Amino acid sequence: MVVRQYNDELKYLEKLTPYSWKIKKGFQPNMNVEGIFYVNKTLEKLMLDELRNACRPGMVGGFLPGVKQIANVAALPGIVGKSVGLPDVHSGYGFAIGNMAAFDVNDPKSIVSPGGVGFDINCGVRLLRTNLFLQDVLPVKEQLAQSLFDHIPVGVGSKGIIPMNAKDLEEALEMGMDWSLREGYIWAEDKEHCEEYGRMLNADPSKVSVRAKKRGLPQLGTLGAGNHYAEIQVVEEIYDKWAACKMGIEEKGQICVMIHSGSRGFGHQVATDALVQMEKAMKRDNIETNDRQLACARINSTEGQDYLKSMAAAANFAWVNRSSMTFLTRQAFAKQFNMAPDDLDMHVIYDVSHNIAKIEEHIVDGKQKTLLVHRKGSTRAFPPHHPLIPVDYQLTGQPVLIGGTMGTCSYVLTGTEQGMLETFGSTCHGAGRALSRAKSRRNLDYMQVLRKMEGMGISIRVASPKLVMEEAPESYKNVTDVVDTCHAAGISKKCIKLKPIAVIKG
Amino acid sequence: MANRSLIALDYPNANSINVKDENTFRKIVCWLETNKIKQAPKETVNFLSNINSKDWKKTYDKYKKFLGCPETLSSDEESLQWIIGYAIREEYCRKKDNFKKATLTDASPRNVPNIQAENPLDKLDFHSDEFAEGINQLAKLLNITPHTDPTITVKAVCQVITTRLSEHALKNPEQYIVKGTPFPLKDADLGIDLTDPVLKHAAKVLRMLYIQDLRNLQTKANELIVAAQKVTANPKTDTRLGKVGF
Repeated sequence: MVVRQYNDELKYLEKLTPYSWKIKKGFQPNMNVEGIFYVNKTLEKLMLDELRNACRPGMVGGFLPGVKQIANVAALPGIVGKSVGLPDVHSGYGFAIGNMAAFDVNDPKSIVSPGGVGFDINCGVRLLRTNLFLQDVLPVKEQLAQSLFDHIPVGVGSKGIIPMNAKDLEEALEMGMDWSLREGYIWAEDKEHCEEYGRMLNADPSKVSVRAKKRGLPQLGTLGAGNHYAEIQVVEEIYDKWAACKMGIEEKGQICVMIHSGSRGFGHQVATDALVQMEKAMKRDNIETNDRQLACARINSTEGQDYLKSMAAAANFAWVNRSSMTFLTRQAFAKQFNMAPDDLDMHVIYDVSHNIAKIEEHIVDGKQKTLLVHRKGSTRAFPPHHPLIPVDYQLTGQPVLIGGTMGTCSYVLTGTEQGMLETFGSTCHGAGRALSRAKSRRNLDYMQVLRKMEGMGISIRVASPKLVMEEAPESYKNVTDVVDTCHAAGISKKCIKLKPIAVIKG
Repeated sequence: MANRSLIALDYPNANSINVKDENTFRKIVCWLETNKIKQAPKETVNFLSNINSKDWKKTYDKYKKFLGCPETLSSDEESLQWIIGYAIREEYCRKKDNFKKATLTDASPRNVPNIQAENPLDKLDFHSDEFAEGINQLAKLLNITPHTDPTITVKAVCQVITTRLSEHALKNPEQYIVKGTPFPLKDADLGIDLTDPVLKHAAKVLRMLYIQDLRNLQTKANELIVAAQKVTANPKTDTRLGKVGF
């Protein structure tokens, strides 16, 4: 990292609009393209403070500040357009979380980087609607939260209740949600309303290590820990009535269920295995990066292809995982209300992935190009009439599900044409951390956090209450700031706001 | 199967024989060669007709090779079936002309009432003024905007009648009347970059029709999946496996 005074660093940053900043070339060495990040006043301050802290003498160790990470990504070989930081951007391993970057597949130098996908491959959010309203659920809220908690195992080391053997896992890795469909865990319409129709076709389970499979097998159908959760939510605000109606959301007070989870230990192992391979590939092909954490390999190299195939298998794992939890959620509701899930209209509104790399077609400088788009802590947000979004959302644009922090609120946005042009059809993914996990543990008391939830009328079930302060709203940026920035910058559009009434988490 | 083929070849008592019986089997092979195939050299035929001979099998293998019976057919039953097929082919080639005649006479309807094969509509002049006027009146009655080409109007009328005025549709109108909120087509932009308002409206209508087509296709795909699920689905849970973490 280049060491400069904070004021010198600022010379490389330029405010473009009230909601976006440009990172000029030279901010980090060898930048191939410029960087851009989207922030409003509040988020801007957080972003610049982070940079200022890093500029203080003696600040070493830990992750680089988010702005620096965005600029380092802009220096990777084969990157096109811009390295984009979304409003919820914060430091992560190599790539910042909330960073998207696209690489030209037809440029032989272009790379793929596991750091640009993240360790929780295909972590994502799924939203189910119901035809219930707040008054139907309030009297049985506690029972419902308990029932969900009983059905969906949570926490580190949790094990699922859907019996799977090694052969089932192989098939699931290859087939993704088609496996869940075949076995009858989900509905045909679920597949229709899922990014990629719930299956990456290039998945190849034979490229996945035995260790990853061993870790993954017992974990299918479990929520996991960290920021993952399942929430019963109530519609608090509808901004776009027509789009909401297309999603089956008619009125305020309607009950939804949000599931935020990923590929568990399986994805983590796939990413870890790939990083080892990539380091070798970098030496062989003389790929240089600004940061050791940006380990990568050429897209067309064996290592690059193997990673893409195993990443796709991990993505399929995550979809099967969310599908299994969809099944369990429907069971829990059906038991509580003594009605079939069909009669409760428990359809999947949409399912988004916010840690993934995908091959997509985009227009760059007036030319159509095939790109490998990395989205880490960033959600795809395709505009209306895009051929890859479900027919039901052709007129509204793709639904984008933004999971909030525990106890705050969540949003549904829709994709826009402007987002397609500016950010390769990408937008934010959630609140984004403001305090590190360790810092939150030091600063907050878990009893206080739990009591606060209770005070807000939220039923909560947690496997490890002592870790709950890591996920407290105070540890995160304000999700409303993040979403409002995306809306104001025009890269996606607000549609629905949801508020939790019950939370289960690891 | 073998029996039916043998009946067709006029084998004596073909109805009641058991081809699995070794003696009968040998008899059939001999009969087929002598009466139908007639290709083997004389001594082979002689050997074959001696069905009690110890060397019959050997001769039979030679004979099979002579006819070109594939060696992959391991069981006697299979090879017999093949030889019967061969005989039928020979028989057919020999009497080809006869069979041809038979097909023609048999195919003409015998028990079916005589229907005139012509469609009264064929005689209509689709371009006459009379036709156009009639169709336009029909369209008006059904609330359909007539097209300048009456044949296109006919297509539209036909579609309305078959979908909305079918017997089932009249009995169960609720299944056919489209529900849902109407789409504000006039105000919507639909991302079409055209200045001519008429052209733009037409493009918007086309876009909506395309989406409808897509929806129907997706519904059919879903129906297909559901049909397949009826065969494959078997969801299971076992709560004993569950383990909450820490």
